[in-house]
Amino acid sequence: MQNFLERIGERTLGILEETGRTTSLLVVVLFHMLQPPYRLYPIVRQIYFIGARSLTLILFSGLTIGMVLGLQFYNILERFGAVDLLGSGVALSVIRELGPVMTALMVVGRAGSSITAELGIMRITEQVDALECMAISPDKYLVAPKVVAGLISVPLLTSIFDFVAMFGGYFVGVVMFGVAEGSYMNGMIDAVQWEDVRLGLVKSIIFGGLVTLICCAKGFYMHLSKAGSQGAEGVSHVTTDAVVLSSISVLFSDFLIGALMQ
Amino acid sequence: MTNTSSNAPSIRIRDLYVDYGARHILKGVNLDIPSGKITVIMGGSGAGKSTLLRCILGLKKPVSGSICMLGKDVVTASLKEIYALRKEMGVAFQGGALFSSMSVAENIQLPLHEHTSLDQHTIEIMTRIKLDMVNMLDAEKLMPSELSGGMTKRAALARAIIMDPKLLFFDEPSAGLDPSTAAELDDLILKLKGGLRMTIVVVTHEMESIFKIADYIAVMSEGELIAAGTPEEIRASTHEVVQDYLNRKPREGIVDADEHLRALTEGSD
Amino acid sequence: MESSLKSEKGYDLLLLSGEVDLQYSPKVREKILGALRQGKPLLIDMESVSYIDSSGIASLVEGFQTAKSAKLPYGLLNISDPAMQVLTLTRLDKIFSLYTSTEQFSQQL
Repeated sequence: MQNFLERIGERTLGILEETGRTTSLLVVVLFHMLQPPYRLYPIVRQIYFIGARSLTLILFSGLTIGMVLGLQFYNILERFGAVDLLGSGVALSVIRELGPVMTALMVVGRAGSSITAELGIMRITEQVDALECMAISPDKYLVAPKVVAGLISVPLLTSIFDFVAMFGGYFVGVVMFGVAEGSYMNGMIDAVQWEDVRLGLVKSIIFGGLVTLICCAKGFYMHLSKAGSQGAEGVSHVTTDAVVLSSISVLFSDFLIGALMQ
Repeated sequence: MTNTSSNAPSIRIRDLYVDYGARHILKGVNLDIPSGKITVIMGGSGAGKSTLLRCILGLKKPVSGSICMLGKDVVTASLKEIYALRKEMGVAFQGGALFSSMSVAENIQLPLHEHTSLDQHTIEIMTRIKLDMVNMLDAEKLMPSELSGGMTKRAALARAIIMDPKLLFFDEPSAGLDPSTAAELDDLILKLKGGLRMTIVVVTHEMESIFKIADYIAVMSEGELIAAGTPEEIRASTHEVVQDYLNRKPREGIVDADEHLRALTEGSD
Repeated sequence: MESSLKSEKGYDLLLLSGEVDLQYSPKVREKILGALRQGKPLLIDMESVSYIDSSGIASLVEGFQTAKSAKLPYGLLNISDPAMQVLTLTRLDKIFSLYTSTEQFSQQL
């Protein structure tokens, strides 16, 4: 019994320590963002890595989700004779919910995991120490550009997802099921208000920062967790941890933001 | 750069204690690292020499003690002061720690790009000068993954000395190298000491290297400094552990026959 | 670090003294390249150089390159011991033309 309680205590302390570290990393990153010298190039490079790497996945999943939405909404709306609401249904669910959440989850799997692995490997091969000893702040040089890039590229990717998904819905509804094109398009335009777009935007910005921050912290602070002494195996541990943790954080904060901005 | 650059700095370590949880890694180390010479910190695994090095570099904060160099105490210095100190230091890490996404030349040039506003042309010449010093001129455009073990160490060394630091640190330079490559690296270290005014600290356990390159030796065992002096003084040391190291004798424990039997057979009834 | 450029008969003499390091080498570089742009041979007096780091050496090398492509004579005068150590280590003592008197240099012109 005592053993069990000890382990729970250890786990809890570990989680608290990690949360504290990640939060202080965020503070440090914000601090560095506001201080000169302002180097645009590393941020642009990271936007390319995060954005370009995830683009095909976003296009594919956006299209598929849009098509699935078109399918399922059509099925439901047809029962109530309200098929002209298809455009609104697809557009609102994509812009408010599925766009930001699905994009964030795709980015986690594609770019987030590779960020964690990259920083984890750098940590265990002493590359981070090497930067420190060259009087170059690893937070500023390695982490900050990634977080800023996340804040910028995830909203951009989300917009792309949204467009492609709405097209997917159009394809299924109008082309496959013969819903009137006019009603689909007008449904979209009429139903979507600025507050819907704003919600989607806020979510995607927060998700972008959250995902990159968590993935960076997991890899960057690998040496302070148990995985730090496990070498290559440790890297795969923190990578899977990062994917799970950032995915859960996206889903949880999705609800939180939605509730707060209701 | 300061105006006493012709005097390489010395390092004064006093009463250094480092704990890892309940374990004592360093137990009150007192050491004076002389200026302008090659000091070797030696000892078996677990002796605490890597921890000592990390404390000197400011990568680990000790529980108590002081490490004074260039007019500052690393232990109590602020982050800004530590960064200022680090600009006078070069470190060659055990695995090289080259940045895998950059070529050898880009690795070496990184400190120059971050800390100076020198012309790119000047930077390139400086890079080639250092690569030539370590006999790696033709490796300029290679990526770290394309380098052999010896080449990795030499590239890391070139990067460590690119800013002409006053203090140069090596963490296990011969680790993973075959004897002849290790000997080449030793020669390189000696060559550099002659030409550039630096205080060099080498953490290692390779006996041959130690007596070849050291001007001053510090012997560590189980977190304590058990001997320090010139190679001759160390060779003449009457300390049991030192003699064991020198004679490459494994540390013997006293064997209690009953204890040993019990340890081997416990639970196998 | 102090530097002064004097016009001699048929060449320029650049006097350097003190420490040529990261802080001052850009200035030295400017002086060297600026003098060579005038199209006259250049002799650099290094006797009072107490310390020179690789950025300083790189500036000397750049001067050598520039002088070579402009076909101008270029030399170093009275290298101090500290500077000579670094030149030997970098094998540049074989590249640069080293002189022990201004007459030696001016005779070459």
